[in-house]
Amino acid sequence: MAAAPSQSVTQSDVALDVRGLTTSFYVGGHWYPAVRDVSFTLQKHETLALVGESGCGKSMTALSILGLVPPDTGRVEAEAILFEGRDLTRASDREMREVRGDGISMVFQEPMTSLNPVLTIGFQVSEALRHHRGLSRREASARALDILEQVKIPSAASRFNDYPHQFSGGMRQRVMIAMALACQPKILLADEPTTALDVTIQAQILELLRDLRRDTGMAMIFITHNLGVVAELADRVAVMYAGQIVEIAEVEHLFARPSHPYTEALLRSIPRSDRDTAELYTIPGQVPPITRMPSGCRFAERCTYRQDRCAGDQRLTSLRDAPTHAVRCWRRTGGDLPTVGAADD
Amino acid sequence: MLAYVARRLFFALPTLLAVMTLVFVLVRIVPGDPAQTILGDQASQEAIMALRERLGLNRPLWEQYVDFLQSAITGDWGASMVTGQPVLGEIANVLPYTIDLTVASLILGAVVGIPLGVWSALHRNRLIDYVTRIGSLLGLSFPAFVSAILLLLIFSIYLNWFPVISAGDRSDPLERLENLALPAINLGLIMAAYITRVTRSSMLNVLGEDYIRTAQAKGLPHRSIIWIHALRNALIPVVTVVGLYLGILIGNSVLTEIVFNRPGLGKLIVGALGQRDYTMLQGLMVIYTFIIIIVNLLTDLTYGLIDPRVKYS
Ligand SMILES: Nc1ncnc2c1ncn2[C@@H]1O[C@H](COP(=O)(O)OP(=O)(O)O)[C@@H](O)[C@H]1O
Ligand code: SF4
Ligand SMILES: [Mg+2]
Repeated sequence: MAAAPSQSVTQSDVALDVRGLTTSFYVGGHWYPAVRDVSFTLQKHETLALVGESGCGKSMTALSILGLVPPDTGRVEAEAILFEGRDLTRASDREMREVRGDGISMVFQEPMTSLNPVLTIGFQVSEALRHHRGLSRREASARALDILEQVKIPSAASRFNDYPHQFSGGMRQRVMIAMALACQPKILLADEPTTALDVTIQAQILELLRDLRRDTGMAMIFITHNLGVVAELADRVAVMYAGQIVEIAEVEHLFARPSHPYTEALLRSIPRSDRDTAELYTIPGQVPPITRMPSGCRFAERCTYRQDRCAGDQRLTSLRDAPTHAVRCWRRTGGDLPTVGAADD
Repeated sequence: MLAYVARRLFFALPTLLAVMTLVFVLVRIVPGDPAQTILGDQASQEAIMALRERLGLNRPLWEQYVDFLQSAITGDWGASMVTGQPVLGEIANVLPYTIDLTVASLILGAVVGIPLGVWSALHRNRLIDYVTRIGSLLGLSFPAFVSAILLLLIFSIYLNWFPVISAGDRSDPLERLENLALPAINLGLIMAAYITRVTRSSMLNVLGEDYIRTAQAKGLPHRSIIWIHALRNALIPVVTVVGLYLGILIGNSVLTEIVFNRPGLGKLIVGALGQRDYTMLQGLMVIYTFIIIIVNLLTDLTYGLIDPRVKYS
């Protein structure tokens, strides 16, 4: 696996090891991969950002890890998804339920619809504790209150029995985070937790996540379509395009040496306060739908550097002078043969 | 909430008044002379005139109207033109039977329909689901009086488990249940068919909601996700349908009442219609409006129990 960082890390430092994940959907009589052969490792205490435009397969990657891809239309195949010595792809329903909300938690994009409207937030936060930890109603409530205070819900005690509609979007997202953190998970999957929020609220939630990560030591997969928020939060970044990882590197490397044309384009499209938003760059074209994936480089249609050889399969390959920085484009991995060093597929 | 109930009832008064006015007018414009109807074709002109005088039918319309409203408010709804008994008393005699039947059908419908709807939704497009859907469709399209006759033939006449005439004493609980069983099963199964279908479709909607995925991501067991997270939300449209159907049920229970020979509002309405018992019809229509108002109020209060977003204001 080229994407896996250097050999020096031992297995015990690895929180999650995803190998060859492919998630497909059944559309009009055929299976189409929405996530294709994705591999990465997540170190303990590490934050990995998963970045890409909408429709690139980020959410499906996270849902596949938790086994929450809709079973009637979706199918997950993977060589392995290793978590705490277990291969989640081979875990039973029961074992998966033990992992969810306990070992691995998830925060979703839409705070307005992701909380149950007819149950109090106190109930929803304490539920996982009662279930996974076997706490009594009273013990779970006490612990849930602590967590609600930890995520800075103002006067949490008096709001414990309030319902989601009585909270603003930002506060609901704090409640979602409290729910996810209730059982002190080893890994938090945060799927665009700030996308639906106002800019100022976004900053507050990001700060909260940063603090919580520091205080709890959990590992995090932070999903976003905005490379701008990545710099302050992530240790490493995986850029996804059309279901594949097209570049993966430590965050400083990525910003210093963006090597995939898609990463470059994403960097150019970061909104910046010192520039007029009117001249904000947007990448022309669209992510191809899963039913019409081009062969060869999937970004070719939108790439300004496209050449004939881009029509061939591109492999995720480490840069020669930076083994932890891998790119899926022949221009940077250089040479005439794209398969120098390890490759992922 | 009490204030809410009081306010709702207060605002229902104009509706009641409108219905009473409508009833008053309608009864007087339908063809056929009540006095003639009561006394029959053979009655002499003098007898008819005398009865018209006694019933106040000869006075000016507005006088009759004011009189009608005044007495209605004071609880005097007149006497039945057929039996001579007070209208309110006749209605009060059968109302408990109607309430028994309605409540029992509702309970039966919910107890059968909700789990069946959930079950069907959870096995969507599998055999169980098809069987349930076809079964509930049959339940909806099967004429109530046919099923009533079948029930009567099988359980009362052939098996002799239940009385043939369900008009017994309400004060003895056992007898009351015995008399209630078959009519309630007959209407309850129709109710169950409605509830099954709404519960199924509403459950399928809810199971696709984001908060269900959140509940799954928490690692909750299947049963908490279904019965705590999903069902409570899925019940909101069920309450709507039950509320609507309940009004229909109270009016439509007539065939069931006839087959099982059971007293009730439905039978009273049909009897009064057949005999042009105008005073009785007036009373029944007002009572029926009142029942609809109460059912609507109860429906709205039930929403509040299920859905915290509902505000009473
Ligand atoms: N249930 C589904 N059926 C068919 N296609 C789906 C389904 N869910 C997601 N997809 C497709 O999978 C791709 C990846 O989706 P997703 O992971 O949600 O993207 P992202 O989170 O990066 O925006 C998209 O092209 C989307 O249209
Ligand atoms: S392989 Fe070709 S088309 Fe694809 S990103 Fe590289 S240069 Fe662009
Ligand atoms: Mg997404």
